[in-house]
Amino acid sequence: MGTFSTLVRMAGRNLVQGGRRVVLLGMAMVLVSMLLVLLDSLAAGLEASMVNSATTLASGHVNVGGFFKVTSGTASPVVADGPKIRAIVEREVPELDYQIDRVRGWARLVSERASFWGGLLGIDVEEERGLRSVLQISEGSFDALKQPDTILLFEQQAKRLEAKVGDTLTISAPTMGGVNNTVDVRVGAIAKDVGFMSAINLFMPKATIRQLYQMKPEATGAVQLYLKNEADASGVMERLRPKLEAEGFRLMDLDPRPFWMKFDTVTGQDWVGQKLDLTTWREEVSFLLWILTGFAALRWLLLGVILLLVVVGIMNTMYMSIRERTREIGTMRAIGMSRGRVLGLFLLEALALGIGASALGAGLGVVIALSVNAAEIKIASDAFMAILMNDQVYLKLTVDNVVFAVALITGISVFAALRPARRAARMRPVGALHQVG
Amino acid sequence: MPSKTETPSSPTGASGSAASGAQSALVELVGAKKDYPLGRTVVSALRGVDLVVRRGEFVALAGPSGSGKTTLLNLVGCVDVATAGTVRVDGHDTGRLSEKALTQLRLEALGFIFQSFNLIAVLDVFQNIEFPLLLQGKLGKGERAERVRSIVEKVGLTQQMKQRPAELSGGQRQRVAIARALVTRPRLVLADEPTANLDSETGERIIDLMRELNHTEGTTFLFSTHDPKIMTHADRVVHIADGRVLDAAAGHA
Repeated sequence: MGTFSTLVRMAGRNLVQGGRRVVLLGMAMVLVSMLLVLLDSLAAGLEASMVNSATTLASGHVNVGGFFKVTSGTASPVVADGPKIRAIVEREVPELDYQIDRVRGWARLVSERASFWGGLLGIDVEEERGLRSVLQISEGSFDALKQPDTILLFEQQAKRLEAKVGDTLTISAPTMGGVNNTVDVRVGAIAKDVGFMSAINLFMPKATIRQLYQMKPEATGAVQLYLKNEADASGVMERLRPKLEAEGFRLMDLDPRPFWMKFDTVTGQDWVGQKLDLTTWREEVSFLLWILTGFAALRWLLLGVILLLVVVGIMNTMYMSIRERTREIGTMRAIGMSRGRVLGLFLLEALALGIGASALGAGLGVVIALSVNAAEIKIASDAFMAILMNDQVYLKLTVDNVVFAVALITGISVFAALRPARRAARMRPVGALHQVG
Repeated sequence: MPSKTETPSSPTGASGSAASGAQSALVELVGAKKDYPLGRTVVSALRGVDLVVRRGEFVALAGPSGSGKTTLLNLVGCVDVATAGTVRVDGHDTGRLSEKALTQLRLEALGFIFQSFNLIAVLDVFQNIEFPLLLQGKLGKGERAERVRSIVEKVGLTQQMKQRPAELSGGQRQRVAIARALVTRPRLVLADEPTANLDSETGERIIDLMRELNHTEGTTFLFSTHDPKIMTHADRVVHIADGRVLDAAAGHA
């Protein structure tokens, strides 16, 4: 213990004596650690925004959707017996926080000045507690959707349609029978955008969509399960599949795509009637996961370059330090210090530098991330808003990310010091002493 | 003659049985040679040295620069091994010991005093002197502190215990080096030109101190010098030139 504490003391003091060279290297490591925390927070924030956006607007953590085919060549995103499925879910999923069901559709929304295609989502305002807590209504009222033939628009949709609360819009959709039906709806509320997906999702009462598609009251689009812990989603989905099959439902094979990308596949299959399709939120936003993948690749590329520079910096600093301290190494070896302890001394220096610099950098990263979140910085660019799936910069800090940054930078420091430290340890004492005298 | 039994894991273990009594050989060199490759040529630093240093002796190695004094001390100090011949220290043939065993022998049996003091800059006086004891790991904190204070008192540095080497004079630094060399109570202390970087008055005091510790502690000293005044303090002086001991009688006195 005495030897170790002395070696620690020596390591610390040697770092202090290292002067400007060590300070510059330490600052570089502080910056890298800070950048790592910020990049990880940005990535986590991006994923959180994606989860939030996806699970608020288009998906539960787990979804029991499906298709109903009157003929083999047609398909509708309909679950014929929603209440039965909800009862099974209630019974079989103890991880459940709450569940809702939404009627799905795909239709053209037309105003006097513009139109666009969007995904219809029929909701029951009373049970949409997640949506109610997330949506920020900028005009009108969410409760306006309790009235039939109303619609909620997001700001960017309202802007495109040049519509405001109280305006009447027309929804035009092809029915299962192959003809177009229309229904007029009144804009009941306009909400602030919730990321990229608020461009295409249109909320309205279930009854309006059922009327549009001439569906029975028990028919719905998908039962959406919200779990106490989102991480349980895959497990719950896997467990639910055989339970539903046991209840007599036919299931589609697992297909990691959102429901609206499956129409061609389903209409090409030779079956009629009902088949259920179970997905998690990840499948429903899989078309957007490239953003996360791309961001992760960019992050690792950037980190790779920076970490390489840190490795080179540490090795260079250690080699210079060893060259300057050759006599000291020779002396320590001469008076009986083993090679292992010499190695340990230099690794301790790298460890101390790594822990100190990375902890400081991670701390700064946390402070900056908290400050950025507190400042609620709005994203000016629509493109960035789409990519970040948020209208403001959000950095999600997690203990794991901070610990990862400290551990990674510290580990890299020690790793980079290994080779120089081994060189120091392998010095022959006579050579080391000779070099100075 | 000491036993030829080598115990690399505990190189000093044989010392008691190898040579007991005040006049037994602690160091013995027989035909010791040391060659250094220098480009395509080979430089012979020692050309077959025979030398015996007995326990308790205070021996000076005298000779001009380049005569082989430092090389001889390196061989005896186990920081280098002979190209040919035998170097026996405290009963161990150093040529047969592993690197680990040589390190252990240095730690347990030898003390070093260097011309340039070679103190560890980041440790204070107390910590520098305590360092070999920490490496040995035999004593507890209290015993170490007591041992260090005792030796610090002997070298007269009680007031400087918390000072770093940079805050000390040359003479004080060499006193720290002497204390560090003696704190483990080694059987042999090797000193390479211990007074070369000191003024003559300080150098005299350092040699007096070494001599005093030689008497009081019974520690064997082998030191190199080219200063005739310093040589007068030695029990005997071994003259060396061109890699050979000139005065064979002195070498076996």
